Amino acid sequence: MRAPDLALVAVLALLAAAFPFLVNAYWLHVMIIAMMFAIMAASWSLLAGHAGQFSFGHMGFVSVGGYTAGLLAHFLGLPLPLGMLAGVLAAALVGCIIGWTCLRMSGPYLAIFTMAFSEVLRITIVTEVEVTGGAGGMSVPQLFHARTDLPYYYLILALLVVSVGGMMLVVASRWGLFFRAIRENEQAAAAAGVKVTRFRILAFAIASSLAGLAGTFYAPYIGILTPDIGSQDQMGLVVAMAIVGGMESLPGAVAGAISVEFLIQALRSYGQWRLVLFGALLLFTMRFARNGLLAPAWLRLRSLAAPRAAALAKEAVR
Amino acid sequence: MLDYILIQAANGLVIGVMFALIATGLTIIFSILKIVNFAHGEIYMMGGYFGYYVITLLGVPPFPAVLVAMAITFLFSIGLERGLLTPLYSPRIERKADYGILITFGLSVFLRNIAIILFGPFPLRPPSFIEGSLAVFGGLMISYDRLVAAGGGLLLLVALIWFLNRTVWGQALNAVSQSRESASIVGINSERMYMLAFGVGGALAGGAGALIAPIYSLSPSMGLVPDTQAFVIVILGGLGSVSGTIIAALLLGISQNLFIALLPDPSRGPSYANAFGLFIMMLVLLFRPTGIFGRHAVAMD
Repeated sequence: MRAPDLALVAVLALLAAAFPFLVNAYWLHVMIIAMMFAIMAASWSLLAGHAGQFSFGHMGFVSVGGYTAGLLAHFLGLPLPLGMLAGVLAAALVGCIIGWTCLRMSGPYLAIFTMAFSEVLRITIVTEVEVTGGAGGMSVPQLFHARTDLPYYYLILALLVVSVGGMMLVVASRWGLFFRAIRENEQAAAAAGVKVTRFRILAFAIASSLAGLAGTFYAPYIGILTPDIGSQDQMGLVVAMAIVGGMESLPGAVAGAISVEFLIQALRSYGQWRLVLFGALLLFTMRFARNGLLAPAWLRLRSLAAPRAAALAKEAVR
Repeated sequence: MLDYILIQAANGLVIGVMFALIATGLTIIFSILKIVNFAHGEIYMMGGYFGYYVITLLGVPPFPAVLVAMAITFLFSIGLERGLLTPLYSPRIERKADYGILITFGLSVFLRNIAIILFGPFPLRPPSFIEGSLAVFGGLMISYDRLVAAGGGLLLLVALIWFLNRTVWGQALNAVSQSRESASIVGINSERMYMLAFGVGGALAGGAGALIAPIYSLSPSMGLVPDTQAFVIVILGGLGSVSGTIIAALLLGISQNLFIALLPDPSRGPSYANAFGLFIMMLVLLFRPTGIFGRHAVAMD
């Protein structure tokens, strides 16, 4: 890591640690939600951007995580941290199964299959009212008995740093190289000795367990879990966040999630229009700036500040 | 009980015709542009609203209003294609299938949410084509609107098959779907064919929306279910095959309604009906990705 990067990380860390004391309770809540979405968007961007598997079932895994934790707490009285662990494991397991079943699919087939998976799951949750509470939702016990959201903030901050940091390590490692090789050409990757089956399933398992992690956090934080979290509109929001940030950039996805969520909240007096806005943002970015808005803007900014470093960074991104 | 099953089968046939309209549109778009249009259900929804406003604001009678709605949807779809899909044809873009998935997925989110603003979140219902119901099977009724929808849908399908097989435009479309290069060698402007295919596909969905509006009311989220159902049908019928799509649509419409009729807990029927189709599709994708009629797999670009 270069010196300017270290300085940047230090400033960001300080800012993140001090954030709750700089804003009021409402914006703290927005930030917590935004960071939860950041985990979803970054893990989706690992799966779609790096591994090239366009899953529209990502929110299904969020539901798997959330409902596993919620149901275990509700019916078995399992302590919530254990339930959350079980939720992450359940999402990873289902992710392995889905990743394995769609090994032979690519492109739109995979997108449709995963969309069907998440819709079947959502419909089942809505219909089985006795177990899940249906569309009205099920209540989930609180994780912390504090009067502020402070413990939740630091918990989600830690989860975000660990999961995105972990994914960035994966992306920079040989595994990340294998993911991108499979994305570009599966046969060529196999011919070069990449174990395609193993790494396709691995990408799915990593991404879905992190989606599940976000779900297990969401359930006790909000206190009520509804099937809406698994809807295609939420999926669209996460896709918009990842794409605005820049498909293949994990920090970009985090920045995209935080900026889109803050934008949506800042515009909440416009009611329904803000939902149109993120759809339009997604369309605009895809149509005119396929590399995203934030990651390229960041590179541009750096090239203005230090031309040589940025040229190197650009090489690294390639 | 038998009567009930028969009436469900008849309803299923009507729905099947509607599915066929939506799904053939999806298939035509796929076979020409080589993209799966994730916003197809939303174009169906827009078609329904176009029909509604043509009737209520312009005072056009319900029957011609369907054709007007189709014409508007045709132009609307071409506008979308020009605005959003042209990068698909440029050689500079890598991974075109991914672009197609994301841009149409974004479009579906956009259209669904803007429809809530433009048309309001509450269901709207245009006037009936013909009031009343026809008594069949002794005492059981089928509303005239359902008959009109099925008949109109069948007419449109026949017209479509005539258009695809007997007209120069249809044959040009067929040529482009088989090979873009060869088609351009014999002088077919493939870019114009992309416009035509997206427009025709949209118009079919729009026609279905306008025909079905008096039976089920219009709502901004009405496209979600038919969208996924259309994927089911298109994959059952084999991506890119129009006749396979029509057969698969009728099969799915009927079997889905029979599934509702035979489910032991009827209160869950309607909600599981959609899951039923999706589940069938997941099985087909797993075990017979070329569709039930075994058409050779269409290569994806």
